[in-house]
Amino acid sequence: MTFRLTCPVCGKRDVYEFTFGGQERGPRPAQEGLSAGEHFRWVQFRLIPGGPQREWWYHGQGCGVWFRVTRDPATNREVEGGGGG
Amino acid sequence: MADAGRLPPGPTCRVDFLRPLPFTYLGRPVTGFAGDRVASALYASGIRIFSRSLKYHRPRGLYSMEGESSNTFMAIDGVPNECAEMTALRAGMSVRAQNVRGDPRTDRFAFIDRFDRMMPAGFYYRLFHRPYRLWPLFQNGLRRMAGTGVLDPRRGLGKDGPRGDGVEAEGGFRAEGGAGGGSRGRMGSGVRAERYLNADVAVVGGGAAGVSAALAAAENGLRVCLFERRGWLGGHLDWRTRDFDGVALHRRGEALAARLLEVQSRSPEIVKVFTSSPVTGVWGENLVTGFTVGTGDDPFRECHWECRAETVVVAAGCMDRPLVFNHNDRPGVMQVGAAWRLARTYAVRPARVAVFSVGDDLGLEAAIDLAELGVEIRAVADAREAGRQDPELVAALEERSIPVLSGWAASRAIGRRRVSACELRPVNGAGSRRFQCDLLVANAGMQPRIGVLASVGARLAYCSHTHSYQPIELPPGVFVAGSMTGLRDPRSIEASGRLAGLHAVTCCLGGAQKPAGKGAATGGREAKATDRHAAASVATARRAAAAAASPRHDAHAHPGPVAGCDIRQGPAIGRGAKAFVDLDEDGTYKNVVESARQGFDVPELAKRFGGFGLGPGQYRVAGQNLAMIMAEMRGDPVEAAMPTTVRPPLVPPSLATLAGPNHDVHKRTPLHGELAARGAIFRRAGAWERARYFSEDRACRDEIRNVRRNVGILDSSPLGKFRIFGPDALKALQRIYISDMRGVRHGRCKYSAMCNDMGQLVDDGVVVREGENDYYLTTSSGRAGTTVEWFRYHTRYDGWDYNLVNLTDVLGSLNIAGPNARKVLERVTGSDVSNGGFPYLGCRRITVGDGVEARCLRLGFVGELSFELHVPSSYCRYVWDLLIEAGADFGIQPFGLEAQYCLRAEKGHVIIGAESEARVTLTDIGMGWLWDREDTVSKKVGAPALRACEKQSGRMKLVGFRVDDGLGSPRDGAVVIDGDEIVGYVCTTRRSEALGWQYGMALVREGVAGRGGRIHIRQEETPGRQEPCTATVVPPPFYDPEGRRLRS
Ligand SMILES: [Zn+2]
Repeated sequence: MTFRLTCPVCGKRDVYEFTFGGQERGPRPAQEGLSAGEHFRWVQFRLIPGGPQREWWYHGQGCGVWFRVTRDPATNREVEGGGGG
Repeated sequence: MADAGRLPPGPTCRVDFLRPLPFTYLGRPVTGFAGDRVASALYASGIRIFSRSLKYHRPRGLYSMEGESSNTFMAIDGVPNECAEMTALRAGMSVRAQNVRGDPRTDRFAFIDRFDRMMPAGFYYRLFHRPYRLWPLFQNGLRRMAGTGVLDPRRGLGKDGPRGDGVEAEGGFRAEGGAGGGSRGRMGSGVRAERYLNADVAVVGGGAAGVSAALAAAENGLRVCLFERRGWLGGHLDWRTRDFDGVALHRRGEALAARLLEVQSRSPEIVKVFTSSPVTGVWGENLVTGFTVGTGDDPFRECHWECRAETVVVAAGCMDRPLVFNHNDRPGVMQVGAAWRLARTYAVRPARVAVFSVGDDLGLEAAIDLAELGVEIRAVADAREAGRQDPELVAALEERSIPVLSGWAASRAIGRRRVSACELRPVNGAGSRRFQCDLLVANAGMQPRIGVLASVGARLAYCSHTHSYQPIELPPGVFVAGSMTGLRDPRSIEASGRLAGLHAVTCCLGGAQKPAGKGAATGGREAKATDRHAAASVATARRAAAAAASPRHDAHAHPGPVAGCDIRQGPAIGRGAKAFVDLDEDGTYKNVVESARQGFDVPELAKRFGGFGLGPGQYRVAGQNLAMIMAEMRGDPVEAAMPTTVRPPLVPPSLATLAGPNHDVHKRTPLHGELAARGAIFRRAGAWERARYFSEDRACRDEIRNVRRNVGILDSSPLGKFRIFGPDALKALQRIYISDMRGVRHGRCKYSAMCNDMGQLVDDGVVVREGENDYYLTTSSGRAGTTVEWFRYHTRYDGWDYNLVNLTDVLGSLNIAGPNARKVLERVTGSDVSNGGFPYLGCRRITVGDGVEARCLRLGFVGELSFELHVPSSYCRYVWDLLIEAGADFGIQPFGLEAQYCLRAEKGHVIIGAESEARVTLTDIGMGWLWDREDTVSKKVGAPALRACEKQSGRMKLVGFRVDDGLGSPRDGAVVIDGDEIVGYVCTTRRSEALGWQYGMALVREGVAGRGGRIHIRQEETPGRQEPCTATVVPPPFYDPEGRRLRS
């Protein structure tokens, strides 16, 4: 776990400075009419693409921003052009 | 000349005979000299048997002089497993052998060697695992016989050292902390340091190639960090005196090193050279880690470092590949490098009479050099066929009348405890010759130190020209140079280093952060420089690189990789031979045969089965030989065999070094000194060091009594304190808090809670409105650090405009609680603090003392009349003094966290982590009343889960209980049972003086007991109590259920 991430504010920094915020799963679903099953799928279920995925990271030891990167968990590297946003 | 064991110091000698260093070995006085390693000093004083081997207790001697095996692991100053070959000698050291009783010359377990037939490969697992119940017995016996050093736990406690800055933990074990904790003589003593480096080019290895690479990079203005594990630069040139181009090789190395050190002294920001600094591994995106062993001038004993590098040049060099032959572990059998460096670097006479069996021209050169130094060389066997040797070297040997036996190799070392003779045989063919000698210098040629390459993630393949493992694919930004690629000619080695350095430059300047993976070894991708200067530099660098690599470049002056030697094992090796493939684990050729026969016939399996390469030597001694021998047994071509995976640390640092200098990083409140002066006993609580007790009474009876009867004062500064403001602040509060926050008013605290998406309670606190779209809120102490992250995470899609400011460290907090609290406060403020003017749950700005403005919150966590004063941290001490002085007449006393914990539990107030856990929701712990179930538009975090869970049956619920008298006294964590079934556990339970009985809270399966029912609590951990006790369910709060006191 020694890779680096590109914070949209601070640039490329060591991963120690960040907190993982999980895969991108879309905004919080509207509560009206939300079934328990749908809710738990949104909270708990993840697809494992086995390749690059969109992720949330928090720059806690830096600027304090939540941002998304596209990263390949197989190599731990950010995917080109998948930087912060 | 110092003594009989020494040689006259030559030009490459690193030992200073004018500075003798007395030390002891097994209690006997010995003298070495400054510059010696412990092992060189011992060897010079006549010590030949350094240890006994792990399994067979065979005598072991000095073998590599480079720390490649555990042969010379010793206990130095009480610290076990110190490598005597690598440890610099200091005056006064106490050195002892380990894994022996007494002297390794006469070890009482030595008989085991004769029973080796009973200990085939993997025998621990195959013989001792049945019956399973006896394994612990076997294990203890084996451990006693096969251990590697003894750790004395008393030394670790620092009883003889200064108290450091540590915090005493519950068990009395002390964590070393603060600056420079520790003193000499303690376990792994001495200051540890850590350093974080950044470099454009990290160079691993300070030989000719590494130094050339560093120079090339530095000349192009790149920041270079070079790491060399020896105490000096120069690599194998350092001890070689052979003439080359009219200059002695060591002079050539010195000149190169001097050039780099000159650049370092001129531009220390460009070049940083680290000697005595082995690399432990290279990790993702070129993070190079390692440690530096402090020399006399360094302020540390060992320093861990991490270097984030854009590019890495690996020029780690070569080491001897051991020759596997019968009794190749006898003291007196030594690698070429060991004998040579003993003589040339440490001026130690390796022996009187020696025989060589080598597979590389360096071996021939070493033989000539030792002959030159007065060692009688009886014969030199070279495993290579005649004609493959450097003719100049062969001629030089013949000139000295030393027989050169081409195509021959050592087949047996003779002698019980030490080598007294050896037997040489042709590699292919019959016949043998026997020579008397006291030293057999043997190797099978050289092998590259592939550890760093493997660690970096290079793909390796067997190269049948050099007969070594070579990288065929390198990760981005990694380049290889030097003798590890099979080069031997110093000019070629330097050119390859320079080329690698220039490739690194091209890679860095080209902005090519992602050079092509394949072919990275030979060059980066097309530069995409935007900057003109960078483009020009790249062009220059590329031209230079091309020139260096060009075939038109004088190929004669730059010979390529030399052909290697492919001998796998010595001639006439019997299938039952005690020929060691791995010295550390006593892994023999015979064990490899057994392993293969039982189906463990690839190196990775043999490694698990026979332990090959598991010891401190890792892949270094065993790796390549194991792969080659295994391939032959399988009938595979040698190219098919892969060495076992190399794992970091490539060189072991001490655990103390990895632990670092600061074991305990924590915050202190502004009132730390005041609390300490009043006898506070501090404990870690999250990020803070907090006053937990104010007396030795762990039940805190005095503190609790004083809060209930008079008034107590608590330093609650770690409480999370935040301001949230902006047009969308209320929207954020509505999302995060489970209650309806629209009604939050001026001057009144709104108590609420935060849940996570599973409906668990994660935090609670109060919110006060302070202005238009402007709120002040508190969180629990443990949660303060993640509150900003939490708010922003759960609003990350919304683009709301609000600001959340963490004031936790800016504001301190003092809490006065007890029936006399108002009387104390009245004395320090003119503001109205009467019950009418400032009721329960009120929040006021009041002025205390000489005009310190404080937010004052009237809360009741401990169940008494209570005021919480939030003041700027810098005023905390002033306000503390005011309150203490004002409270003197009313019996004010500080109380700590433990007293607060008990006081709040009497009130049934939950603490997250004590009464709330992952399996229970807000409603399960009786706080569902906070939940605004009508709100479906704010998308409150946790609300859908609460709705889904509220009607589930069989959930765990929080209940209060009163322990029935006379049946015992359960403790926190005791199990609640229903018949034989476990149905819950006790979260907190205490005996209350105010109540006169033992109360508690437990999480139990719903329906086990209703109000007034009974629960059964096991109390086996309470001495003398085998029967469960019973308790009656009573709803909290236990103390003052109507809440009259906190409203008074
Ligand atoms: Zn940032």
